[in-house]
Amino acid sequence: MLDSAMAALASLADPSLLIMLLIGTVAGLIMGLIPGLGGTGAVAILLPITFGMEPPQALALLIGALAVVHTSDTVSAVLLGAPGSASASVTMLDGYSMAKKGQAARALTLAFLSSMAGGIIGAVGLTLAIPLARPLVLSFASPELFMLTVLGVSLAAVLSRGNIIKGVSAGLLGLILGMVGTSPTTAEERFTFGSLFLGDGLSLVAVALGIFGLAEIASRASQRRGQKQTISLGGGWGQGIREWLTHWTQVIRGALIGIWAGVLPGVGATAGTWMAYGQAVATAKDKRQFGKGDPRGIVGPESANNSVEAGDLIPTLLFGIPGGVPSAMLLGMLLTYGIQPGPSIITEHLDLMYLIVWSFAIASILGALLCFLSVKQLAKLTKVPFAVLAAGLVAIMLLGSFQEGGQLGDLWIMIVLGAFGWLLKSTGFPRAPFLIGFVLAIPLERYYFLTDSLYEGFDWMARPGVMVFLAILILPMIWAFIKFIRARRHTNLDDGHRDEQPEDDEAPLKNSTWSLTASSIFFVAFAAALISSASFSPEARLVPQLVSTGGLIFSGILLFIEIRRRLHDGTPKADETLAEKAEEGILGTQTAKAGWTLDAKFALKTFLWMTGFLALTAAFGYLIAVTIFIPAFLLIVARARLKVAIIYTGVLYIVLLALPSLLPIDLPQGWLNTLV
Amino acid sequence: MTVLVAYASAPEGREALTEGIKEAHRRKSDLLIVNIGRGHHDLDAAELKELEGQLTEAGLALTIESSILADPGDAVIQTAQDRGVEVIVIGLRHRSMVGKLILGSTVQRILLDATCPVLAVRPDKL
Repeated sequence: MLDSAMAALASLADPSLLIMLLIGTVAGLIMGLIPGLGGTGAVAILLPITFGMEPPQALALLIGALAVVHTSDTVSAVLLGAPGSASASVTMLDGYSMAKKGQAARALTLAFLSSMAGGIIGAVGLTLAIPLARPLVLSFASPELFMLTVLGVSLAAVLSRGNIIKGVSAGLLGLILGMVGTSPTTAEERFTFGSLFLGDGLSLVAVALGIFGLAEIASRASQRRGQKQTISLGGGWGQGIREWLTHWTQVIRGALIGIWAGVLPGVGATAGTWMAYGQAVATAKDKRQFGKGDPRGIVGPESANNSVEAGDLIPTLLFGIPGGVPSAMLLGMLLTYGIQPGPSIITEHLDLMYLIVWSFAIASILGALLCFLSVKQLAKLTKVPFAVLAAGLVAIMLLGSFQEGGQLGDLWIMIVLGAFGWLLKSTGFPRAPFLIGFVLAIPLERYYFLTDSLYEGFDWMARPGVMVFLAILILPMIWAFIKFIRARRHTNLDDGHRDEQPEDDEAPLKNSTWSLTASSIFFVAFAAALISSASFSPEARLVPQLVSTGGLIFSGILLFIEIRRRLHDGTPKADETLAEKAEEGILGTQTAKAGWTLDAKFALKTFLWMTGFLALTAAFGYLIAVTIFIPAFLLIVARARLKVAIIYTGVLYIVLLALPSLLPIDLPQGWLNTLV
Repeated sequence: MTVLVAYASAPEGREALTEGIKEAHRRKSDLLIVNIGRGHHDLDAAELKELEGQLTEAGLALTIESSILADPGDAVIQTAQDRGVEVIVIGLRHRSMVGKLILGSTVQRILLDATCPVLAVRPDKL
């Protein structure tokens, strides 16, 4: 074991690996700063680039980025009060308050050091998990693995914040979407409608980038103005270091909470950081300073959000069950290299495991170092309006999704799923279970049929491992049910810890016509899947039918709730709530629902732009499409100056022209090119 | 000085408010309401106005505050420490042993962690 660890460290002396790690780290830092991208965006954008590389190089690049996204997302949260990702909003509470007092440097020192420590502790946790889990993992047979896949999807659905029924519906729809293509047992085509293109199934990059990336762009592209405030770092670097040392227990506690949140599927960095913050507040005797610049409010959450990513990797690599969205994509990458995450990775690819651990630790240190050195320059990036960044991001994301299969169809699917992802996001459906369901659909089916053919009847259910997993599966459901009942009885004020974020305003279209539409889409999709799966052979239709029946039940409940709510209160009274609030003049926690139509309109417009871009690509090829789309988008949507638009387009054009010769990347060719 | 009422839209919260108003009058202290329920408090404008009038008559002030902390217990303690309140008034309700084990108890948290006296009241009907 130690040999493999040392061999992996030695292999990092290879310049190509080190360079990839460095590139990944820098890319991760930049993407951490851009709101809405975070770990998901970083992996999604870098993933397509790795397709031509060797596995170690690709892993170094991706892990480097993943390890540091949560290091840099603090910068804008502290300096501008605008978090780079949802998890950084926790740091903002105390970090921004400190910055307002002229102690930004103190807050940033605390944050960077804690992020670094969180990353290293996470890497240690991952290292320890390997020998501890090894005997366990090796004793797993197909029934346990089947239970694990079920567990992965359902835990992601149950544990993700927000409505559990919504989470389960999203997870089941992800499963159905993952079954598009060839059935793993009978090799017959399912849900392809005779299309050759769909026969391979949907591309993971397209699905992930659509559901998360494009949806994020659409919901944020309306931000035409960047942050205006002048940035002053102030002093306090030394004080920050001293304070960080005195709060070392908080650092370790935060990191452990982060690892735990990472291991649980679907909990993720945001919930993990809130848990760490809640823990810090709950254990503190003097709570006066929290929210006003308490170092304990920065140290714990910052170390937690970095260790979450390491924790995510534990179930991903050892069991093949992704804990979060970035690791779900990483899992996809490993599969394309023919590396099967799960028990066999320990026996066959131990060196890769340790490479990941080392990369994670080194990138964490490197990331903090780079942040210290370049904090001023990094912060300037947040002054760029998101609409301006969006133009380039759309171009890069679409190019990225093209790399996996080299088909334009993937890009169309991506835009459709982007619109769907936006709908999910704005109506409060958690998207992580959807993607985890998508990734686990095929393993779930494969392990089920393996189990079914190896065991008589339900004998496999009696295996101790399976029973343990069943218990893990059922307990959160009972817990969720209790909470649901309590919430219904309106006596939940005495529920003790409520560590998660207060009902956030991330879902502005909740309880509107839009959420009714979303529920109807779910219902119709499950119904269609159930009907069309009737024509499959018995083996191929079993799982799809089970999943879609379950989906029909859950989305039916959702639909019922939505309709009943409509009948009860009619349309949401946006003006009234606002007026009431103004009258009372009291700080409430409820978000007003005014202005949502504007957002929806803007998102729709953004998707029309993307469609236009894709149509141009299909007609004239990628390079020409970029030269038309980018300046038009910048001038009309982002309202950038002409000079900016010209320079932007020129730089992007040159990069795209040079890219295929530097990296194994293909540019989509249009219909025009086929004529020439 | 101030009397803090941990308010939530439930019988316990109502009882705490009633008791808190009495306490404020008795101690000649201002009244501070901290909303610990999920979402917005359900005290309507008219009710608040009446309460405010009643307190102003006695020369006292009414404030409503919320905290950035998500946990109701932490929110109450933070506000209490912040404002240096005289006493915290909170509504209590019966909870079985199992219920406590599973869900914990905000009241217990406040009782143990508060740095000032706590007055726990029970609604009669329970």
